Amino acid sequence: MNLSLSIPAAVLWFATPDLAKAGERLILLHPVDMAIIAIYFVMVLGIGFYLKRYTQSGEDFFLAGREMTAWVAGLSFISANLGALELMGWAAASYQYGILATHWYWIGAIPAILFLGLVLMPFYYISKTHSVPGYLQLRYGEPTRALSAISFAFMTVLMSGINMYAMALVMKVVLGWNIHFSIWVSSLTVAVYVALGGLFSAIFNEVLQFFLIWFGALLIPILGLVETGGWNGLIARIHQNFPQGDYTHLWRPMAHFAGNPMGIHWTGIVLGLGWVISFGYWNTDFLVVQRIFAAKDIRAAKMAPIIGSYFKMAVPFIVILPGLLGLGLLPFKLVPESAVGVGQHSYNEVLPLMLARYCGPGLLGLGITALIAGFMSGMAGNVSAFATVWTYDLYRPFIRKDALDDHYVSMGRWCTILGVIISIGTAYLVMHFGSIMDYVQALFSFFIAPLFGTVLLGMMWKRTTAAGGFWGLLAGSVSSVAMFLLVKFNHNMLAVIALSSDAKDMAENMYRALWSWLICVIVTVAVSYMTTPKPVGELTGLVYGCTELPSEGDLPLWKRPIFWAAISAGLFLILQWIFW
Amino acid sequence: MEAKPQDLRSGGDGGTHRVAVDREDSKPRGHHMIPVWFFVGVILLIYGLIILGTGIYEFKSPPPTVLASTHPAVWWGALLTVIGGIYVYLYMPKKS
Repeated sequence: MNLSLSIPAAVLWFATPDLAKAGERLILLHPVDMAIIAIYFVMVLGIGFYLKRYTQSGEDFFLAGREMTAWVAGLSFISANLGALELMGWAAASYQYGILATHWYWIGAIPAILFLGLVLMPFYYISKTHSVPGYLQLRYGEPTRALSAISFAFMTVLMSGINMYAMALVMKVVLGWNIHFSIWVSSLTVAVYVALGGLFSAIFNEVLQFFLIWFGALLIPILGLVETGGWNGLIARIHQNFPQGDYTHLWRPMAHFAGNPMGIHWTGIVLGLGWVISFGYWNTDFLVVQRIFAAKDIRAAKMAPIIGSYFKMAVPFIVILPGLLGLGLLPFKLVPESAVGVGQHSYNEVLPLMLARYCGPGLLGLGITALIAGFMSGMAGNVSAFATVWTYDLYRPFIRKDALDDHYVSMGRWCTILGVIISIGTAYLVMHFGSIMDYVQALFSFFIAPLFGTVLLGMMWKRTTAAGGFWGLLAGSVSSVAMFLLVKFNHNMLAVIALSSDAKDMAENMYRALWSWLICVIVTVAVSYMTTPKPVGELTGLVYGCTELPSEGDLPLWKRPIFWAAISAGLFLILQWIFW
Repeated sequence: MEAKPQDLRSGGDGGTHRVAVDREDSKPRGHHMIPVWFFVGVILLIYGLIILGTGIYEFKSPPPTVLASTHPAVWWGALLTVIGGIYVYLYMPKKS
């Protein structure tokens, strides 16, 4: 996944040979730290073994029995997205770009998450589908499902491998651990606990990991603000250290492409990130949406993302703030990975550096456990989503249609292990051919933006036809690939696609997503008008206007999802105003 | 999915105290699933005690970190211990 989706481009720098050659470790762990890390591994494996007895049917293994409460599903939903590379990469991005990086947590997440809870989730839930490709099959038919499922399954395991490799490199640089040891121990642990307990196990461990990430990372901003004398003290120190840049305003520097270090105009952030990329990722990427599918009823399914939105809004406190603290407090300046010399540190090391600044033995172990937990929650999300999509959307419809439920559960378990093995293979492939990473990350983004157009039109417009959905998705994806290649082979095209010669690579992601989404929508609408739609009777439970949504009854206002969504939206707007 | 007693289920309304059981298993399997919050409590309690113990030891031998004089390991360890202890107490599996 590229910067435009979830994991920042900063992560790519971890994979550069320079870092691998560094050979120095930032942090020396004590026996008590090692004990804390070991206890974590024992606990997650123990949970996997414990939950195996409850994972008997396909619904148990792939959908956690559809019995998760709103809180469990909501925390798991956020945890699956909160990978270790997300933590370290965005802390690095905030050191480089300042508070602008917060856009990926606020406008790049909150509106989309609330939209998922209030608008899309009821349709996903009522359709009783097991996956996003499963919904596409119900709405558009097998070809669209196959296109979506193949691309998702393929990219998910590849991304998992890339993340695994990047994480192993982080462990090598930060802790001096052997790269093969990190890859095999962490990935096999994930394979064992997900294969044993399926989505039950993934979700339970994600909730556990959620707490560890927060308690492991929270001390840095707390102690950092104590050291700087609060937020105003931090701003004063940043201005003192970097008088030439604006690192503390969200929107003010975005009036021009050249006015901010990201090289993005506010229209790119609002339309590209805030609309297409964010809505595409949070509403159609099965890796995160699967957690909500496991909710016990429709109200829990609506509440889970809304609960998650509050925590997502708070994540900059443990991710962005440490980067800003690095700007204000570190006695030396960090540099890009490509420019690291002897005795220098890169942007990517800001989080471990701040961890080492404040945390002694014990707390250090907790902080490192938070990073490992983040990595494992992300990987578990990948492999559990892969196992579901492969088993239900590819194996069952196209290879073996009429097997018993036990057979599909068994396939899911093997698929989990297979997914991890493919991920490990990808990790080693990237180790030898680092440029693959650029292409795979971009490939993943090719499908997300158009997929959102396909799902949105399918749910909101009953005139959309099966042919319209398929050709729209294909056209959107192909056009995205074409735009990527155009810029790759002729960099001058960036000014055309991103609308300015001052635009930088990040702006390209925003605008490419926007154009590919528009192409998907236009082609879907055009083809739909040329083809025959399904009878309205066949769209019940799938399309707005053809579906009677269940009433929430006589619940008091404060128990209604819309009430909590409105507060979340209000907080989001207040934060924009405060940090404008 | 079989119907389940409402008093054992979460309202999903934002109140943690209502999330007493994550998946109260009424399927004929002979076991009630331990809530995830119990596991959260156990690991926070263990970590809290370890970090608190380390923090107490550091009174004698402080680590070379910034703000070590505020003894973060002591109060952070104590916080984890208290939160973990509360979760363990509230969600301890009952013998039936």
